[in-house]
Order: sequence, then structure tokens, then C-alpha cells
Amino acid sequence: MAVYKKTYRPYEGRLTPGWRRLLVLPRYSFEDLHRSRFLTIFFIASFLYPLVCALLIYLQHNASALRVFNAQAAQQLISINVTFFLNMLGWQSMLALFMAAFVGPGLISPDLANNALSLYLARPFSRVEYVFGKMSVLAILLSLMTWVPGLLLFLLQGYLEGWTWVSANSRLASGIFIASWVWIVVLALLALALSAWVKWKPAAGALMFGVFFVAAAFGATIDAVQRTKWGHLLEISDLVGQVWVYLFEGSNATTNGAVFFRVTQGEELPLWCCWGALLVLCGVCLYMLRRKIRGAEVVR
Amino acid sequence: MNDKLITFANVSRFYGEVLGVNKVNLSVPPGITSLVGPNGSGKTTLMNLMCGLIRPTQGELSVLGTSPDHPEQLCRILGYCAQFDAFPKGLTGFQFVYSFLRLYGYSHAECEALTTTALQRVNMFGAANRPVASYSKGMRQRVKLAQAIAHDPQVLVLDEPLNGLDPMARAETIALFQEWGGKGRHVIVSSHILHEVDRISDQVILLSHGYVVAEGEIQGVRSEVKEQPMQIEVRCDRPHELASRLFQQDHVVEAKVSRDGRGLLLRTTDADNFYLLLNRVILDAGFEVESVAPADDDVNSVYQYLIGSEGATV
Repeated sequence: MAVYKKTYRPYEGRLTPGWRRLLVLPRYSFEDLHRSRFLTIFFIASFLYPLVCALLIYLQHNASALRVFNAQAAQQLISINVTFFLNMLGWQSMLALFMAAFVGPGLISPDLANNALSLYLARPFSRVEYVFGKMSVLAILLSLMTWVPGLLLFLLQGYLEGWTWVSANSRLASGIFIASWVWIVVLALLALALSAWVKWKPAAGALMFGVFFVAAAFGATIDAVQRTKWGHLLEISDLVGQVWVYLFEGSNATTNGAVFFRVTQGEELPLWCCWGALLVLCGVCLYMLRRKIRGAEVVR
Repeated sequence: MNDKLITFANVSRFYGEVLGVNKVNLSVPPGITSLVGPNGSGKTTLMNLMCGLIRPTQGELSVLGTSPDHPEQLCRILGYCAQFDAFPKGLTGFQFVYSFLRLYGYSHAECEALTTTALQRVNMFGAANRPVASYSKGMRQRVKLAQAIAHDPQVLVLDEPLNGLDPMARAETIALFQEWGGKGRHVIVSSHILHEVDRISDQVILLSHGYVVAEGEIQGVRSEVKEQPMQIEVRCDRPHELASRLFQQDHVVEAKVSRDGRGLLLRTTDADNFYLLLNRVILDAGFEVESVAPADDDVNSVYQYLIGSEGATV
């Protein structure tokens, strides 16, 4: 028998499932974020709008409360419909963009700057798991800011309005959930890709806004100069807005999106183009990550 | 595939047009193996290949019978300590070792116990709860070593692990390697500090410009370097007389008496015949001999002969 077989005793205990190993990465990232007072305050403040929405839903169903404030007429002004939920999600998603721009650049760049990737990848932990682990930081944070409050508001409205309302508006719930995830995936991949390529955090954060606002301005310029609508392909918020409208209302749209994600009337692109453009964007981000996330960086 | 060896079969790795290592054929047995070579010779590439961090452009390799194509199995038997200060931001020494253990899928309690053991082994438990950012260079090296040994691997791959360690920590670390190698495990070390490589290694692999120049036990490697005459130091009572007698032989090409007048450094092209001759001369003339020892069968000399002086730190 070989010497090492006599002396070596490999670990024979139970192993945790693979998905739990991913959580090692967000654990310390959240601790790091918690140390930033600004981010903590920003995160807490992001729940103000859903709280106001919850209050509006409550007031709409509580005439006695409105009577206390002598504002019975307000009941007619508050309508809990697709626009209400789209606006809530639009506002929250805009805050999510800011959060992703603050948090995202710090996720991968320090590991690359410190040559720490080999530490992760010399373990039973793949590049895909690493990206998922880092992505989960943003996915958890942005979920808490978007679809979690959205679905809670839907449930509150359903509870107060009754089962008939819930079954009639079930598309709203699926819309909130899927639309949020579309936005979360786009934001998270973009933030991680920029974090992997731009090692200076402020620059990566600024570039994140640049991708949205500068590209949108560029797209609008193309539209104006060429008298076309295809420049909207460069406006990520416009693409997301059109996808959202479909997810919330199907083909019979009555709205044109929400704050920041509003679609210009009459300049809508075919829906498949919007999905395709978002997929291309995600593909580019994944390619950028694939090029950078390596155990040993290849310097040519 | 051999489950006791680390084997490289015609392994090459190119970075675009840049050569990392070329046509490497190696079988590394258990014990301490040192990778020696100047900067850019391919030491880190060879280590990265062993750890599965990069894949060979061509050829095959296996670590104790496990291919890098199966990273789940490979990474469990292998501990890696990178050359660079590779620390995710903000972690304490304990968190650093603990969090990387969690990636193996061990339970919380198991990870805590293994982390404590590993930090105690490298004498870092006292500073475990301080942030890694506040550690000195030597402490960082030791905590890196702790994360490499924490899961008790069969193969330890250490890229310049002695850099920055003070003499005490260096001695402790070397003792750890020797204990590990003595248990029949593989310890692969790269270093520029040749006299320490010489002291700790069971075998060496000399690399230059991506090629393996020599491999094996250092004495064996030295004896294969035929074009460089072997240096032998003899300490005796009459070195001048001994020099004149030995120098009559063709294979003795140089004789130099040391400053203290008691030592004689000889260079010979035929070591085996030289020793036979030396025995005969000593017995015939009645020399009082203190010692006879080869003077250049160490890593430093072999390095100088095979690679030259670039990159060596003696």
C-alpha cells in the first residue's frame, strides 16, 4: 500500500449542497455593504415608495380612515390598477439601477485586482458558480427592492379586494415577478461585466450610468437624424419598458410603461426586437465575463 | 494513470504566441519537489496546470490519477497557495480560511474546527480575528499557507511560499513542509532561494524558458552534467603534496589549495576514477584526511551550470 494511503484520511463527512456554497460569496459582500452608511440608508429609503403604495391601497379600501382626514373624494382618485403597479415597479427599478451602480463595481474588481480568483477556482468551485455567487448579491438586493414589495402590495390588494380581483388580475402578479427579473438580470450582468473590465470602482459605476443614459442619447440622435425608430434599440430603458408593457398587459396595451421606462407612443419596436436586443446585451456581458473570469489571467 | 504520481505527458501551454511551458514530460513522486528557474521560466504555469487553473494547449496531465477535467475531485486533493497577495477585501484571517473551506461543502462546525487547526499549525491563531489587510508580509504568507493546508490535501502546491518570512517563521514553515513530505504527500514548492531549496527538497525540477532542463534528486542531476568537471573538496594535512600527486592524472583538471592551507579543491571530469585514485594515493602516502566531500552537487551549482546566473538568489 502506498505511504500516503496509510497516512492520508480524506474528509468523509457530509457535504453541503452546491447552491449553499455559492452563499459564501454574498455573505461577506453583505457585511461589506452594511459597513457603508450611505448604502444602508439608501436601501432603507428605497422602501418608502412601496410603503406609500401600501398606505394608498389601505386608504382606498378604508372609507372610515378617509373620513377622519375629511378626504372621501380621494377614494375616487386612487385606482389600484396596472398603471399603479407599473409605476411602483418603474420607480423601484430606477432605484435598483442606482443600487446596482453603487454595489456592482465592487463585486469582481477587487478579486481581480488582488489576484484572488485563483483562490476560488483552485477549489471545487467553477467560474459559473463564481459568477452566480457574485450575481446573487445583486439579485437578492434588487429582488428586495422590486418584485418582493411588488408582490406584497399585490397580495395586500388581493386580500382587501377579494379572490375575484386576484384571479382577474393574476397577470399583474406574473408581470411584476417576470418584469423584475428581466431588469435584475440585465442590471446584474451589466454591473458584473463592467466590474470585471473596469478595475476603478467610480469609473465602473459611472460607466453603468453611461450605458443607460449616453446610449439612450445616442439612440435618440440616430432617430432624429435618420428619421427612424430603430435608434431605440440602444435605449435599454425603452426596450425594458416595451417588454414590461407586454408582460403586464399582453398584446392589448393600455399604458406606455412607467417612469424611466416609458415608451414613446407610435415609435414602438416589434416585441421580438426588444427581447432580442436584451438577449444580445446579456450575451455580450456574459462574453465579457467569460474573458475575464479565469483562474490565471492570461497576459499576452 | 498512476495514483501515486503527478504526471505530465508531453504537456505544452501557450499564451497566444507566448510560450508558457513546452513538451513537459514529468513524473513527480511523493515528497518535497522544488521548481527552480528564473523568472518567466514556466514555474507558475506548471503549478497552474497542476491545479487545473489553466488547461494544457496539448498533452495530458494527471494528479494522483485525477485529471484536471474533473475539478470537483482534483480540488479536493489539492491545496494551492498563490504567489500573489490574493485576499478578498475586508476579511479577517479566520474568515479568510473559513470562507474558502465552506467552498468545499464542509459544515459550519467542521470548517471552524479545520480553520482553527490550520491557523494553529502556522502559528497565526493569535491574530486570527484581525483583518488580513493589517497583517505583515510574513503573516499574510502564513495565512495563505493556512488556507492551502486547511482541508488536509494530499498535494500541496506552493508558489514561492518562503518569500517575506522571517527566519523563525521560515524554519517553522520548512518543518511543516518536511513533516508533510515525510508523510508521503506531495509538496510542490517554487522558490528562488536556492540554498533553502537545496536543504528541503527531495527532488528538483529545473526550468528554463518553458523547458524542463533537468529533474530528479540533485546529486543525480549533478552527475549527469558531464561537461562541467565535478568539484571535490579534500581537507588533509598536506594539501600541496596531495595536489601534486593527483594533478598527474588527466581527468583532474584543476587543483586549488585553500587559504587556510588545510583544504584542497579539485575539479575532475571523471568522479568515479578520481575517488579510486584518491583512496590509493591517501593509503600510499599516508595522508591524514579530515574530510572528502563534493563541493558542487547542490542546487545552486547545478542551476549555475544548466541555466546560468539569471534570476538566482543565493
